[in-house]
Amino acid sequence: MSLSTPLRRSAATTARVQTSTTFICSQCRHATLLRRPKRPYQFTQLITLTDGSTFTHRTSSPAPIYRTTRDTRNALLWNPSSNKLKNIEDDEAGRLAAFRAKFGRIWDANTPVNEDADNKDGESAESKKAAAAAEAAAAQEEEDNLLDLISSFGQEEQGSKKKN
Amino acid sequence: MAASEPSRYLARSLPRTLVPSSRHQALCWRRNASDQASSKASSAGLSDLESASSLTTTVSEDIIKSFQPIERARARKTQLPRSRYQFRSPKYDRGPLHPHRPPPPSDPSSRLFVPGPFSLPRVEQTFQSTVASDILTLLYVHNPPGFKPPVKAPRLRSWDDSSPYHKNRPLRGPRGGDVLRLLRHPITFNNIPKLERITLHSYVKQAASEHSGWLHVAGMAVQAISNVRVQTYKSKASVSQWHISPGRDSVAVKAELRGENMHHFFGKLVDVVMPKIKDWEGVKGSSGDSSGNITFGIEGKDMALFPEIEANYDMYPPKMLPGCHITIHTSATTDKDARMLLSALGVPFYGKLVN
Repeated sequence: MSLSTPLRRSAATTARVQTSTTFICSQCRHATLLRRPKRPYQFTQLITLTDGSTFTHRTSSPAPIYRTTRDTRNALLWNPSSNKLKNIEDDEAGRLAAFRAKFGRIWDANTPVNEDADNKDGESAESKKAAAAAEAAAAQEEEDNLLDLISSFGQEEQGSKKKN
Repeated sequence: MAASEPSRYLARSLPRTLVPSSRHQALCWRRNASDQASSKASSAGLSDLESASSLTTTVSEDIIKSFQPIERARARKTQLPRSRYQFRSPKYDRGPLHPHRPPPPSDPSSRLFVPGPFSLPRVEQTFQSTVASDILTLLYVHNPPGFKPPVKAPRLRSWDDSSPYHKNRPLRGPRGGDVLRLLRHPITFNNIPKLERITLHSYVKQAASEHSGWLHVAGMAVQAISNVRVQTYKSKASVSQWHISPGRDSVAVKAELRGENMHHFFGKLVDVVMPKIKDWEGVKGSSGDSSGNITFGIEGKDMALFPEIEANYDMYPPKMLPGCHITIHTSATTDKDARMLLSALGVPFYGKLVN
């Protein structure tokens, strides 16, 4: 082993010395094997973008159709002016959308209202009344939300019945 | 060589013997050894010559009658073997002096022939139909008739002959650094910047310190996404922390895409893979080698976003999936033009654009 390493190194150094950019036109006596180029097999695949447009390409993947979930048509980086994409929630699997379809939007967190209430609490004792009022308002809103839920539940039922 | 000697002598000596010289031979006292030798050789060569031409020999009538290639081909019951009518390239290139030379690689009978292209890629169509004319419009510089551009100083300066040592020196390099940058010719219809080739390069440091499986996985992954057989490369630099010494271990994998492969790869990279990369801002604006080639990298976990790797993700050990550097070589000579081309084709850039 100790013998082989210096030998290898010397071989490597000579190889590096031999590679030069100048073309030396000397007769070469050995025959060069003409290797057939290796070409991996390619399939034709249809790519369906999210907006429904399609194009074909040659690929090594055997799947005939590839449907994208996220591409240049619905990525914010490629559509910077789109408001629809700006406030998009992390709902790639569609679970949130499914929940909303089932129960409506009433379970959405009312974050701005709560934040305002917290700020008022921290500021001063004078604003405690206002805070209490805000809390009451929030509670009222929550109740409203719950009432909404009940009322909308019935309405949805009626609506669906009407549709049917 | 030996066979050609008499004829050479003959060619020299024949005019001398046939043309009657004005000088009288007997009066010429000077005698050269070469004269003597040539006259001797000429006489020997002339005696060896055949008197009749070989072209005048007559062929007998029955041989001419019997030579009927069309009849013979019609009378043949079975087809000739393939080797009798199909040219087959030699397996080895034996040099320019060998009588049996392989055909050029563009010839379909060549062993190096690569058929194609088989499709018209979408990126190429987009480039031809919209991008090329857009770039041509954007880069148009109007010069009024009769405009003459100001004469620029030569790029390589000459030495002022203040010192006698300046004689025969090569010209001085450009001012402000030794780098002689590429010339940017005005963009016209025939030099619109376009994609030339894409290089995928993946340096796997564990291939040296651990086993070669890392390199195999990297090669498979790069081949899968690029449709091109990869080449392996040995390290040129010594990195002692990774136990890499120059010229010992194969540590890198490279695939070079051209033409159809390149366009398909670029299309799927921009349309499918780039939007899926998490928290990706784009290609950094300062990337590029200031001569129109732009490089960016994608990490190992982003390699899994390619549809080919996604199709059988289980084949690749997830930890061994390599990242790679993607170099896009364009025919533009400045980074600004290259960036304009790439952003027209859909590659986003961020940060300060450095040219």
